[in-house]
Amino acid sequence: MLKKFALLSVALGLGLMVACSWISPKGSFAPTHPQALDNGRPTCSDCHGTDRVSGSEKTFASFNHTEAFVANHKFQANQDPATCAACHAQSFCADCHGGKTAMLPSVKLGNRPDRVSPHRTGYLSLHRIDGKIDPTSCFECHGRANNEKCTACHK
Amino acid sequence: MIYRTRLALLAALVAGTAMAQDVAFSTTSIAQAWTTKTPGFSDTTQVPLTEFVGVDATKLGGKEALSFHMYGWGMADLGDQSYIGGKHTGDLTYGYLQYDFKQANAQIKAGRIIVNQGLGPMALDGVEARTDLRYGFMVSAFAGTPVVFKNYSNNNQYFVAYQQDISFGGRFAWRTAKLGEIGVSYLQDGSHPAAGLTVPQPVDYTRKQLAADVKLDPCAFLDVAGRTVLNVASDQITVPGTDPSRIAEHDYKATAKVNEKISITGTYVERNFFSYYAGSTLPSLFNQDEQGTFKATGASLVWAALANLQIVGDVRRSERTSYGDATRAGGEARYTFTNAHVVAGAAYHQVNADDVLPVNAQFAAYSLSHSEERVWVMADRGAYSASLDMIRLHYDDADANPNLHGQSIESAIVGSLGYKAKDNLRLSADLSVEDNALTKSQVMALLRVQYTFGLAAKGGK
Repeated sequence: MLKKFALLSVALGLGLMVACSWISPKGSFAPTHPQALDNGRPTCSDCHGTDRVSGSEKTFASFNHTEAFVANHKFQANQDPATCAACHAQSFCADCHGGKTAMLPSVKLGNRPDRVSPHRTGYLSLHRIDGKIDPTSCFECHGRANNEKCTACHK
Repeated sequence: MIYRTRLALLAALVAGTAMAQDVAFSTTSIAQAWTTKTPGFSDTTQVPLTEFVGVDATKLGGKEALSFHMYGWGMADLGDQSYIGGKHTGDLTYGYLQYDFKQANAQIKAGRIIVNQGLGPMALDGVEARTDLRYGFMVSAFAGTPVVFKNYSNNNQYFVAYQQDISFGGRFAWRTAKLGEIGVSYLQDGSHPAAGLTVPQPVDYTRKQLAADVKLDPCAFLDVAGRTVLNVASDQITVPGTDPSRIAEHDYKATAKVNEKISITGTYVERNFFSYYAGSTLPSLFNQDEQGTFKATGASLVWAALANLQIVGDVRRSERTSYGDATRAGGEARYTFTNAHVVAGAAYHQVNADDVLPVNAQFAAYSLSHSEERVWVMADRGAYSASLDMIRLHYDDADANPNLHGQSIESAIVGSLGYKAKDNLRLSADLSVEDNALTKSQVMALLRVQYTFGLAAKGGK
């Protein structure tokens, strides 16, 4: 028993040493954007041109918050949420992406029509059409969580 | 167990904030009131009160790298309580300790976390860690107990929790300058699939997914991103005689910046229902046994016509085997006035879709085609702010569509007035008037109080 424990400890220790030697020696990139940004969607390349984000190695231009970026922001969030966190607290994401949300994001943000917000007022009828055209878009938020309300009709 | 978890989180909250040097505390209180008038049913009045609370405490114990983050809400209904199904409800969205290393973008989170890496987002009570490795590699991993939401009463709820007993996964990626990043990720939800249970269960709430993702931006003018997700669970129950695809999803987009003012984006999505819906907690709606696929191709053009005017044109063609094809096309314009105190937007989209075939003789075939119009404006001057949002939907086949009760036009107007009493205290009141096919005329009033104190570094945008 003791021999096994000793061997396991040695293996773990060696494993940790090897793993640590693999860790990048580079410094972490800035946790927050150093300057306050204006209201509205930022166009990063306006200031950063063709530069790349240090540590992320991606072009600043690829973070320009165009309509296409906002619609496909999951790719960035899935790959590198730390770059999102430079400007957004997690509560910003939670306005829409909660496992259980208190109210429609469009109601919570009723004073912010500039923000993309699913299910604007009047969606109760429209969801019966959207759901037939593309039910997979519903699944992303309601497939595994945030679907207590759905069960009222969809038993 | 739930009470012990809550107690532990409360203790972490108190201890965490007490040890912090910088604490940002934010609350949003929302009081709503509306009456629902549904033809054929008695009127109902809802008066829910909701409190959102967020805490970001940094420099815990004097350590720059250690922080605590929490966000949650509680709601009580002072009306007839039908809206939330009881007197009160609530949720802890997240609450975790975070340690950021100065080197390698390394980070550890522990508590109730929302995992975004790889195949997220998903909520779990557990641990997540990530670090950059040498030569452009990076690795992240997570493990914990999935947060199980109450979807059902009775037996099914038990089996959701039983099957989804543990979640784990991670992502391994390689990135290089002048090319981009490629990664593979794995996610497993639950260790008790339905097929392996001694008491047979028809629904499998578990899933095992393997994904490959890519982001290529070899220059500032081209950006390609996307992922392919595979369903790698080998023991799932299928309809006899069928061999559904194991590809859950292809989802890709490519953006080309034509010049400083114009960029074009193309998208492609393909989803196979059996694999994409794996592990759903709402199988009656997201039916894995539906044969066929969903595919969509789209394109959009963004034109920065002026420094403060952005115009977007977009089109999307989708195909669903069981319901036919649809094309959504339209545009949007956003204008920011020079002083940045007024922002306005307008959008129009037309959806042309195939007819839905009748399920039985009771209904005739009807069209899903419709159009959407939206105009909005928001302004602020000094301590005052205001916004107006108008939406109108026009359905082509309201007479035949049994869900629309003959109403071809639905509309909604939301107006809001705000007052910034102090730098950290903002009051706003919304009034919405909605006319839809289900609840007819509905007026909703909302009062919102937002209060923050401490050093909020980010997050409110």
